[in-house]
Amino acid sequence: MSSVPAMHTVQTRPRRRAPRLRAALPFLAPALLAYVAFVVFPMAESIRLSFFEWSGFVGAEQTFVGLANYVRLFTQDAVFWTAFGNSVIWVALSLVIPMPISLTLAVALDRRLPGRALFRTVFYVPGVLAAIAVANMWRWIYNPRYGVSEGLAQALGLERLQGIQWLGNADIALFAVFVAFVWQAVGTNMVLFLAGLQAVPPELSEAAELDGAGAWQRFWNVTLPSLRPTMVVVVVLTFIGSIKVFDLIVGMTGGGPAQQTQVLALWSYQQSFTNHQYGVGNAVAVVLLVLTAAVVVPYMFWTARRER
Amino acid sequence: MLWWVGIFIAALLWVLPLGFVVITSLKDEADILGTSLFSLPSVPDWGNYLEALETGGLMRSAGNSLLVSMIKVPLGLLVSASAAFALARIRFQYSGVVLAVIAFGAMVPVQVALAPLFQIMLATDLLNNPLGLILPYIGFGLPYQVFILYGFFRQIPAELDESAVMDGASNARLFFQIILPLARPALAALFILDFVATWNEFGIALVVLQQQESWTVPLAVQGFQSQFTTSYGPINAFTLMSIVPVLIVYLMFQRYFIRGAFAGAVKG
Repeated sequence: MSSVPAMHTVQTRPRRRAPRLRAALPFLAPALLAYVAFVVFPMAESIRLSFFEWSGFVGAEQTFVGLANYVRLFTQDAVFWTAFGNSVIWVALSLVIPMPISLTLAVALDRRLPGRALFRTVFYVPGVLAAIAVANMWRWIYNPRYGVSEGLAQALGLERLQGIQWLGNADIALFAVFVAFVWQAVGTNMVLFLAGLQAVPPELSEAAELDGAGAWQRFWNVTLPSLRPTMVVVVVLTFIGSIKVFDLIVGMTGGGPAQQTQVLALWSYQQSFTNHQYGVGNAVAVVLLVLTAAVVVPYMFWTARRER
Repeated sequence: MLWWVGIFIAALLWVLPLGFVVITSLKDEADILGTSLFSLPSVPDWGNYLEALETGGLMRSAGNSLLVSMIKVPLGLLVSASAAFALARIRFQYSGVVLAVIAFGAMVPVQVALAPLFQIMLATDLLNNPLGLILPYIGFGLPYQVFILYGFFRQIPAELDESAVMDGASNARLFFQIILPLARPALAALFILDFVATWNEFGIALVVLQQQESWTVPLAVQGFQSQFTTSYGPINAFTLMSIVPVLIVYLMFQRYFIRGAFAGAVKG
């Protein structure tokens, strides 16, 4: 908000501007109303409630406890740190694994290959499915007795991969869920990269070819640098998508076994609605909000400066 | 050629999960337990689909989802478009600040607001009510749509509305008769994207819809899954049926879909 007074001094004709706000208001009002009532207010309410102890039941008292919920979260709630760690792992894996796959697919499908449109659809379709439906599909795949993983392990004679409880084993469940995430997320990023590739001027690559650059060199020195704006968008979208992963975990493990696939978004929900610890649940939500803002706000300033 | 083979293998890998779900959905219990995963069903068993339809309340929840989508998507788009119009074409004093504040909403995880949203709906008696979904969906759908439409509206030459205003057109006329028709491609794309997002939404629905009668499709899918844990055929049939509407919408409109999804996201 500190920039607001500065903008005001720049304003040279405030008297002409005033009626324009009045002209804009009828068009803006419904959106502002919905946005404030259902996005801004709940967010502010989350922050407020994180300083209270409350069961969430109507009529139950809300007691102001200051930072006690946060202290409890950071010092006594072992699940919180598991969830925090898993969210960090999830974000890190999301940035490292699906992105190179998406980029490779985009580069391949940017060429004139036979069946290109069909291939694009194949990779993109998982991205339009409900995450909860994807979770169901992959539960079936991981079924330790009749699932696809078991069938493949048997068919290929891989004894070490037989009888594994992919979703029931605390050490691997998170990664098993993550595979489903990759399956779903790759196509969306691929399309973003495809859009970015369209904006790479072909002359650049041709010129590099004339200069004797090999395919790999051209990719590394021409294509990749031109994709930088796209890359930033993909990184930010990937971050936003992965920090709030919820549906997939609910549908595949519910946070188990023994809370080992717990993540911040789900833990916030469960503290509020399952454990009736609204204060603590909202404190988790605030942690989630702070983490998101720490990445997103700098990005917004960066794009705002670029726009000018 | 090498590229093609690589892509082909990758595509095969990507189809595999869906393929197995289709095959399983057509097998009866004996086939699933007794035959190899890779074998086709001895006789396609459509009974799984019937069973899923009957016991899962799929038609009812599809009706609920359709009702919510059919109200939310056009209404939300109108609200977003008129806000984007105010920000891009009328441009009042703090329009930049308002745009930034709205855009920030696109980044906020919905889980941050779940508990208070539940309290709002409880207080206004909108739990288990389609309106209890539609209103927050409009709020959370706004940021992205406003952002995209703002970019789109800004590209329309200013001379256009200047001459319209000169001819005595009001802002409302300008919006409905000039700007909105020009934005048809962007609106079509956002319509489809938003339909899919609305149809798939799970988190808010989980909190607001507590009674089975008011469930939308994702809740019904999750409910069926947890209730009939060992009915593999029906579970897979149910999952498949739940994604059919979205698949149809995608396949029919994929041209708009992909263009619209990223029109504003990636600028060269």
